[in-house]
Amino acid sequence: MKLEGKYKFAAPQQKVWEAFTTPAILKQAIPGCESLTEYEPQKYDALLKIGIPGVKGTYSGKFEIVDAQPPNQCRMIGEGSGTPGFLKTETAIQLTTEGAHTVVNYQGDIQVGGLIAGIGQRMIGGIAKMMLNQFFKQMSQALES
Amino acid sequence: MSEQNAKKWVGQSYKRREDLRLLVGRGKFVDDIKLPNMKYAAILRSPYAHAWIRGIDTSAAEKLPGVRGVLTGTDVAAMSKPFPVGVPIPPKYYSCAIDKVRFVGEPVAVIVADTRYIAEDALDLIQVEYEPLPVVMDIAEAIKPEAPILHENIGSNIYSRRFIKYGDPDKAFAEADVIVKGRFLFPKYGSTPMETYAVVATYNPHTEEYVIHNNFQGPFVNHALTSIALGIPENKMRWIVPTDIGGGFGTKTGVYPYIALIALAARKTNQTVKWIEDRREHLLASATQTDRLTYMEFAAKKDGTILGIRDQAIDNCGGYIRAPEPGCAYRSNGNHTGAYQIDHCDRDVMVVGTNKCLTAPNRGYTCQELYFSTERMVDILADKLGMDPAEIRFKNFIQPGQMPYTAAGGGIYDSGDYPKAFQLALDMVDYKKWRAEQKKARAEGRYIGIGFATVVDPSVTNIAYVTTALTPEERKVSHPKSGSGESFLIKMDPLGKVHIIACTNPQGQGHETVISQIVADALGLHPEEVSVSDVVDTYDRVFTITTGSYSSRFASVGTTALLTAVDRLKVKIVKIGAHLLQVNIDDVELAEGKVRLKANPKKGISIKQIAGTAHWDQAALPLDMDAGLSASALWSMPTSKPPDELDRVDSSNTYGFACEIIVVEIDANTGEIKFHKWVSVHDAGTILNPMIVEGQVMGGITHAFGGALYEEFAYDENGQCLTASFQDYLCPTAMELPAIELGHIESPSPFTALGSKGIGEASCMSVPVAIGNAVADALKPLGIEINELPLTPNKIWHMMQKAKAGLPQAEAANRG
Repeated sequence: MKLEGKYKFAAPQQKVWEAFTTPAILKQAIPGCESLTEYEPQKYDALLKIGIPGVKGTYSGKFEIVDAQPPNQCRMIGEGSGTPGFLKTETAIQLTTEGAHTVVNYQGDIQVGGLIAGIGQRMIGGIAKMMLNQFFKQMSQALES
Repeated sequence: MSEQNAKKWVGQSYKRREDLRLLVGRGKFVDDIKLPNMKYAAILRSPYAHAWIRGIDTSAAEKLPGVRGVLTGTDVAAMSKPFPVGVPIPPKYYSCAIDKVRFVGEPVAVIVADTRYIAEDALDLIQVEYEPLPVVMDIAEAIKPEAPILHENIGSNIYSRRFIKYGDPDKAFAEADVIVKGRFLFPKYGSTPMETYAVVATYNPHTEEYVIHNNFQGPFVNHALTSIALGIPENKMRWIVPTDIGGGFGTKTGVYPYIALIALAARKTNQTVKWIEDRREHLLASATQTDRLTYMEFAAKKDGTILGIRDQAIDNCGGYIRAPEPGCAYRSNGNHTGAYQIDHCDRDVMVVGTNKCLTAPNRGYTCQELYFSTERMVDILADKLGMDPAEIRFKNFIQPGQMPYTAAGGGIYDSGDYPKAFQLALDMVDYKKWRAEQKKARAEGRYIGIGFATVVDPSVTNIAYVTTALTPEERKVSHPKSGSGESFLIKMDPLGKVHIIACTNPQGQGHETVISQIVADALGLHPEEVSVSDVVDTYDRVFTITTGSYSSRFASVGTTALLTAVDRLKVKIVKIGAHLLQVNIDDVELAEGKVRLKANPKKGISIKQIAGTAHWDQAALPLDMDAGLSASALWSMPTSKPPDELDRVDSSNTYGFACEIIVVEIDANTGEIKFHKWVSVHDAGTILNPMIVEGQVMGGITHAFGGALYEEFAYDENGQCLTASFQDYLCPTAMELPAIELGHIESPSPFTALGSKGIGEASCMSVPVAIGNAVADALKPLGIEINELPLTPNKIWHMMQKAKAGLPQAEAANRG
């Protein structure tokens, strides 16, 4: 399933880039993120607890940032699994400066398996969008504070 | 024999004696069984359609308080063997994945815990490391050389393949005036019984015996196969099925791998273990029918006479093939040519695997797939010749005077009057009126269509058919198989009341009711004077490999086996009666509840008196006679014989007839199908209980209606099942079903005691193609061919848009 969109931050591009690559900030912003540890540079172990029916459960997984061209673009590759099944994502991210703002463009592909696919697939699009919005909102707040 | 029985109760809509207990909640199902210290199982299932298992860590799960043990593929491989299956190179199919998973939902581990809640929680704590592999989901893709291979030991995705010829098809095709071709894709759908799979297993390490309560529906060959898989003799494995099963429809032939799995979990943990499948598990991983891709050609004369059929039919059995497959491909051999006089067939039959859920028979067992292609082809041929589709059917029907008729594939059609039944349906629907309506509608730009299906409904499986998966040469060196046996024991108590001990393993068909009607007639009793125990216990019931309620066996072989036992009891009653009357046995008759003198009917002795004597006064009986009053029979259809050297086999032992005529109108704006008129006419020989027959016919129609319009197990491109809940797997309800008029004719079978035969599956075979033919007829002005199901409004609307824009239609392909 494809996901794409953009979000505008009221912060300079370098600051946004740093926030996107700082585990502590990411952990706060990712909905349901219980822990996030960088086990190698730009490679992370993550534990996510999601309470939304259809995909509810605890997911443990890894994600990494590859092909990084600071502060302009990178790709994020992640995979996680838990009771409701597994998910794999690959998202390309581009940062551009628009005056005092930074626009983040993203194009992602999500693959799901197990219970999430059998029961929740029709809801995944909506859930993913909702979680992304929460994420960007939290990132905004982190950048403003 | 029974022909002198008065038919006082048989043929009546006698109310089902099963219903009261079901309606007031006193039915007894597997989940009602609660044994001391019983524990509960939950199954971890694969989220991948195709992957290596690189490691399983169960340590955290085992530490959870309340968990009694974990069973993994390593245990299953050590404690059991793969299930045998009748193909040249069997896949290694165990009750649990060993080192590789081949479909989403395949069992990977079992947790046994004090409660189901704890067991489910513990599943989260098992860590499985998978290495995903490329998947193959489409039948046409699966047989390509470059396709991902499911089973390394087989080396291809083809489980079974046979080339079979009946008659001289090359000559038939050479002599044809016209040859028509078609390509058809039948979807993977299922049964969704109200009760899911259920198993309660105990292992006794001292006697090395398993006692397993379960809801399998037969055939009992599954009992034999499971004992082989568990590495024990059959007499160390006791299966008990309670009085009630909440629907079978073929799906519950597939519970046996779970019987083995839970038995092994019970043995490993030394606990009594209960497992009740949940709905999601059932939709994801229990059993569905095969999806089938068919290429078919008909050879015919200009006058519409069909000379021969050539086909390649490819069934998809999913990740593993298991018994009774590859029956899907061979079960309908005997009735391959349907209701028509067609002598020549050229067949390429294949059974393949993809990364989909496994299969089992589904009400109609692949006759819906067969007739979806043959009955579509009849219409396509009629269209090509400019003939009326009703007329071409009359032209080719087997005539009543030809019965019993041996069909090209070896089926011995016992009875029927196909022209009469079809004419009744045409009269009921008022065919001419609807053709006129159609003409008018077309002039107005509306899409009315009339669809037919006239099919032969095989009932009573002859186990022999499964051996046609082997070549005649392979069969010569293997053990021959044949038979369709059913067993009954009848006991009469000292007051003349009767108890029947049966092992027909019903799932709601009303056997107790019909048994009581039949026995009441045979012995001059009221049905209430006949009690029936129809449960399975392999330790105290007599059964054969073919026993069980599947293939609509009861009305044919069941009733005849029952009456054979009753007749043996009657012989004993007459012998005792003659002895007590001190006359020769030839001088008496059994009538009106008495053994009486033929010459002087007033002089006789009542059955009740005879029963009292048999039980209480042994000294009064003839010297060579056993005491008491009981008799048993294990009866098999005499036509159950092995295939001949030309692969012809009477694959079923009785053959009914079903025809549907359906008038539809397609809404051009939405693609929705509206039903104007629907007539369904059946001939299943003598009708035993009209009310039960009506219930069975309507159930079959509804089942097939779902398959034709809504139901399909859909998968995404990674092999994920998209229909694991009733939110996405749509079953019809009373709200969707149009009004349907039923009609019957009765052509008694000469092969069964009462002339009756099966009926519950008939419309499952005829309805999908009748709807397909109706929609094709409606959309004929647009040049649209219907060659796949389900016919969702979305699909029809898109076809119509493409046709109107002059674009070619997409070739039907497996979803995913």
